[in-house]
Amino acid sequence: MAMLFRTHLKLARTSIKENRTRSFLTCLGIAIGIASIILILSLTGSISKLISSELESIGSDLIVVRPSSTKDGITSVIEELTSSNSFERSTLKVEDTKSISEIEQVTVAAPIALSVNTITNEDNTVASATILGTTTDFFTMEPLAFRYGTALSEKNKETSVVIGHMLSLYLFNTSNPVGRTLNFHGQRFIVVGVLEEVTDSINFNNIDYNNILIMDVNVLNDLIGSLQVQQINAKVANTSELASTAEAIQKLLLEQHSGDTNFTVSYGDAIAHPASSLLNIISGMLAIVASVSLVVGGIGVMNIMLVSVAERTHEIGIRKAVGASSRNILMQFMFESLIMSILGGIMGIILGYILAFFASSITPFAPYISWQILLIVFATTIGVGVIFGIYPAIKAASKNPIDSLKHYR
Amino acid sequence: MNEEIIKITGLTKRYGYGDAESFALKDFDLTIKRGEFIMIMGPSGCGKTTLLNIIGLLDRATSGEYILNDRNIANISSTRQARIRAKKIGFIFQNYNLIDDLPILENVALPLVYIGQPRTVRLKNASEALKRFHLGEKEYYYPWQLSGGQQQRAAIARAIVSNPEIILADEPTGNLDSRTSYIVMDELKKIHEEGNTIVMVTHNPSLTTYATRVINMLDGQIDTDIKTVDDKNLPQPISVKKKKRSKRRKR
Repeated sequence: MAMLFRTHLKLARTSIKENRTRSFLTCLGIAIGIASIILILSLTGSISKLISSELESIGSDLIVVRPSSTKDGITSVIEELTSSNSFERSTLKVEDTKSISEIEQVTVAAPIALSVNTITNEDNTVASATILGTTTDFFTMEPLAFRYGTALSEKNKETSVVIGHMLSLYLFNTSNPVGRTLNFHGQRFIVVGVLEEVTDSINFNNIDYNNILIMDVNVLNDLIGSLQVQQINAKVANTSELASTAEAIQKLLLEQHSGDTNFTVSYGDAIAHPASSLLNIISGMLAIVASVSLVVGGIGVMNIMLVSVAERTHEIGIRKAVGASSRNILMQFMFESLIMSILGGIMGIILGYILAFFASSITPFAPYISWQILLIVFATTIGVGVIFGIYPAIKAASKNPIDSLKHYR
Repeated sequence: MNEEIIKITGLTKRYGYGDAESFALKDFDLTIKRGEFIMIMGPSGCGKTTLLNIIGLLDRATSGEYILNDRNIANISSTRQARIRAKKIGFIFQNYNLIDDLPILENVALPLVYIGQPRTVRLKNASEALKRFHLGEKEYYYPWQLSGGQQQRAAIARAIVSNPEIILADEPTGNLDSRTSYIVMDELKKIHEEGNTIVMVTHNPSLTTYATRVINMLDGQIDTDIKTVDDKNLPQPISVKKKKRSKRRKR
């Protein structure tokens, strides 16, 4: 068998070399399919790497509580994207933060309550600014850099706000409005701090720090009423107690919510879940589209193999007459389609990475190369070679030697 | 000596059913001994080629027994038949049937591929076989670069390269002019004298002088069967090769 293996390999090589243009075009069909899969996998891979590096920067001692719907993952993610009032569904309350922070292992906890509202001052009006209601603890948890001024403190939190870099420009036409005032819901607030400009807009809180107005959660609640908390962040003293603390929070909230599990407690990698599940949906969709082109390439292989079988009917007859079994013939043609698709796969990997590097030069994503991607691609090419090569090979193997010998090209 | 290589009894090949039923071979009996050079003659459609195809395991009979080397092989699997074809049967065709994409040397070595010999051994044996037929310098020519006679000699080299029990020739001179016909026939005579068994189908009565036995067929049955050489005087191989069975390939 090993001997025949080498013979088949050589035969396939000769056959492919003899029909150089034809084989190249067939390989190109596979290559385009593989290249698009490589492109998608390497780009989505780089995005999820970006997310995980973001997670590393916030630290591993964080526990996040989020409201959750009873629907399954994909529907809820799509709903979050499409419905404008996703803020309204929260079941978490400000009091929950307080009780969480009273748990032994939790060092500090802060709520994130987002609301969209109009802010004005003497000169300008920003119609839909995002307002973050939180506590002073938020500033100790989040590594926020200040361009001017300081964070909110217990003393001034009733009357002060911190704003983002871009919002400051819109509202005050200057990057340093510290000490000036703005109006929100008929009340005046003093700007005590301006955040440093943030370049990477992705973070697990879903907050755009450049366009934010940060104020005390209780003040915000008093002003607009029925404020809901979208997220509660808690820090743990000892990272080894992460899991047990998360369990304690779960238990506590279950009690307070009278047994309804309308929230999720997550830590570690799971924090990035909403973003990465959305990414999974998108990359899945793209992969399906890419596999369509791979199927088209596979049909090309099958087509060429059928032509090759028809052209070589006489040869098949001769081979059978001198002692080739049907299985020998089957293997000969299987090898040919396999080698063709593997060549296409190699071409596709090269082409895909060239495209990915090209894409990385115009987008912020660096192409991400991993052995898993190569493994997936390799398995796919072999699969394509087998699936689309088996029918022509069976057709070749089942030819009657007597009829084949009469067949002339 | 004079062992029977092939024994065929009650061989029937039927085409079609009912009213369309016709028989290519009807209750056909034949025994072939080692060293015979059998010529089969007869009008078109009398079943000569069908008989040759069934002996060569390219076709299956509708019924009947086919014993090759004391083994009934009429009903064994087609994979086993292919293996027997590679080891024990050599084919020579009217239209040579060489593969155009392969050089002569590889064409001759082709049966050895399916026996499972390593490449160097294959090419060495094929090269020796070609030298016997004075094609030593044409090893790397392609079939279409050779004349008809040369192609047929290459085909004969391919038929004997695996040392088969029997060589089947289906009108080997049918495409050749009379001069090259005799050259090819002389080559066949030579390999017959070395002890090979040959069954040949022909339309040319003048070639029967080469044969040790002439069979005339009519409507799927034997019409006349004349032996021109006594069984005792049949050429025998110098040593009947006991084929090595130790390295039987497993499947």
